[in-house]
Amino acid sequence: MLIPSLEELEKIYNNAKKDPSFKKEFNFLLKTFAGRPTPLTFAKNLSEKLGAARIYLKNEGLNHTGAHKITHCIGQAILAKRMGKKRLIAETGAGQHGLATATVAAKFGFSCTIFMGEIDIARQRPNVFLMEQLGATVIPVTFGNKTLKDAVNAAIKYWIENVKDTHYLLGSVVGPHPYPVMNCDFQSVVGKEIKLQLRKFEGKPPDYVIACVGGGSNAMGAFSAFLKDDVRLIGVEAGGKGNQVGENAIRFPFGSVGVVEGYKSYFLQNSDGNLQKTHSISAGLDYPGIGPQLSLLHDTKRVEFVNVKDKEVLSATRLLAQTEGIIPALESAHAVAFGIKLALKLPKEKIIVINLSGRGDKDIFILAKAFKDKKFMSFLKEYLKDV
Amino acid sequence: MGLNLIDQQIKNKKRIRLMTHLVIGFPSLDFTIKLAKLMAKNGADFIELQIPFSDPLADGPTIMKACEESLLNGTKVKDAFKIMKLLSSQVSIPLLFMAYYNTVFKYGVKKFCQDAKLCGASGLIVPDMPVDEENEEHLISNCRKFRLCNIQVISPVSTNDRLQKNAKVASGFVYATAHQGITGAKNQLESSLEAYLKKVKKYFSVPIAVGFGISQKEHLEKLAPLSDIAVIGSAVINVINLSNKDNIEEDVKNFINNLKIC
Repeated sequence: MLIPSLEELEKIYNNAKKDPSFKKEFNFLLKTFAGRPTPLTFAKNLSEKLGAARIYLKNEGLNHTGAHKITHCIGQAILAKRMGKKRLIAETGAGQHGLATATVAAKFGFSCTIFMGEIDIARQRPNVFLMEQLGATVIPVTFGNKTLKDAVNAAIKYWIENVKDTHYLLGSVVGPHPYPVMNCDFQSVVGKEIKLQLRKFEGKPPDYVIACVGGGSNAMGAFSAFLKDDVRLIGVEAGGKGNQVGENAIRFPFGSVGVVEGYKSYFLQNSDGNLQKTHSISAGLDYPGIGPQLSLLHDTKRVEFVNVKDKEVLSATRLLAQTEGIIPALESAHAVAFGIKLALKLPKEKIIVINLSGRGDKDIFILAKAFKDKKFMSFLKEYLKDV
Repeated sequence: MGLNLIDQQIKNKKRIRLMTHLVIGFPSLDFTIKLAKLMAKNGADFIELQIPFSDPLADGPTIMKACEESLLNGTKVKDAFKIMKLLSSQVSIPLLFMAYYNTVFKYGVKKFCQDAKLCGASGLIVPDMPVDEENEEHLISNCRKFRLCNIQVISPVSTNDRLQKNAKVASGFVYATAHQGITGAKNQLESSLEAYLKKVKKYFSVPIAVGFGISQKEHLEKLAPLSDIAVIGSAVINVINLSNKDNIEEDVKNFINNLKIC
């Protein structure tokens, strides 16, 4: 059903890679629209407070729309234009990829439909509102777990029915070929920037690069520049509430190899191959699959995987906010939480780069609730009275 | 045996053949057994028994919900084999498994094919396994080894290249989707269907089954000169959904009897 479209996309992408005008347009938009390069910030206060390794933050949250997602959206939007498509569709979990897709759709003049699980809509309403302001239609997905994986299913089904005029702007390094390769290529700019920027600070490569991993687009972006270097790469998964089935999204070691949603990789599944429920405080990591490249890097032991619990994520969010003046997205705060734990075990001369994939503005409601902020809750009540 | 049974079933009759469909365990395992027998008795020529899966990509809301409900009922893959074994000993028409590839993969491709054959299945329909992956996954070779038909699925957007690739490995029959899309009953067939099926006929020497959106007697009448088998899937589940539990069998029986054309 979809193979002809995937072959068309692969062909257009391979041609674009060889075409200097594609690179020029892509880089121009990254610079003048997305806001690249994003800064690498030395987390001086946090490092001193911990009294351990030196922590750097790659602040992807300063991208337009608040996360790294805009980068692959621009790349794919240019390709969609070249294919003569009229509409962009996308899945979204936290809403960051949906927001970035709606943004490029407005910029490039595509119509736009975003699929989002009902549960994710309930917890990420601000992003839904923003997507709609950008002219996109947000369709709630009411089947399955009503989260990211179901949004992917819904988007694929829609795409099957509308392949002729629609480009599926898949938002991670998952799904069928060429998506993982293509999105990894687009995101590789993150790792390249880190390398250059850190050289200016330290004159040498980092000892560690840490990134959170849902599907894995920000992690692949940050890691890809260091795969051949003597740098330890660590992916941080959603430890959620606990280690029981349905309480987390820990693919390593709880996942096993499967073939779902058009790709072969590790999935959280039962012995019959049915996908299991997942949980994370961050919608973007609440997903049972993981990009096939990361699975391979896991199997070859090139990337190590760890996880942190929801509670640790909340503490890390607060600590980073108060020491560095940066409120990370809950997804990215997973990387921060592990980075803090790791730093404490390392000598002072070691260098850690944490990829802050997004900023935390979108999580204001979740944070206020989790921190039991009475003033915020009474503000909401008052505000509701007013409307 | 699987191959022969399917071949015979197509050669023996003059009218367009009917393949009905059930999601195993929906609305219950007992009903799957009862309904399959009833279908065989009332003129179904093949039955496609779908193993419920959590993420059925090619299915529309009707079959998706049936899968969800069946899984909630606790249906396991081993139940699917049990049902296949039981039914194949009690009905004489060919029974096929429809499964998503992860179900087959997780069970073990070779073991799945072997057990399917042992339980009396005639063939497998695995819609999300493209022929291109055969060198990695060995689904077609295992079907051949255990003499199961491996039913290829093609759609109106399949390129000539792809039709050719599928035709090379096709066995039993080829499953052509009536439209580019997902499963689900529709009122009308697409006007381009005739040209598309004529093209399919050029590429494939095996019989042609047409499914997706087929729900009415008129559809079967239109398909009769163009294809060999009509597949009714979601439409039966819609009948089940609209029935009171006590009337399910009667309603499904009437629905199938009303579909038949001479």
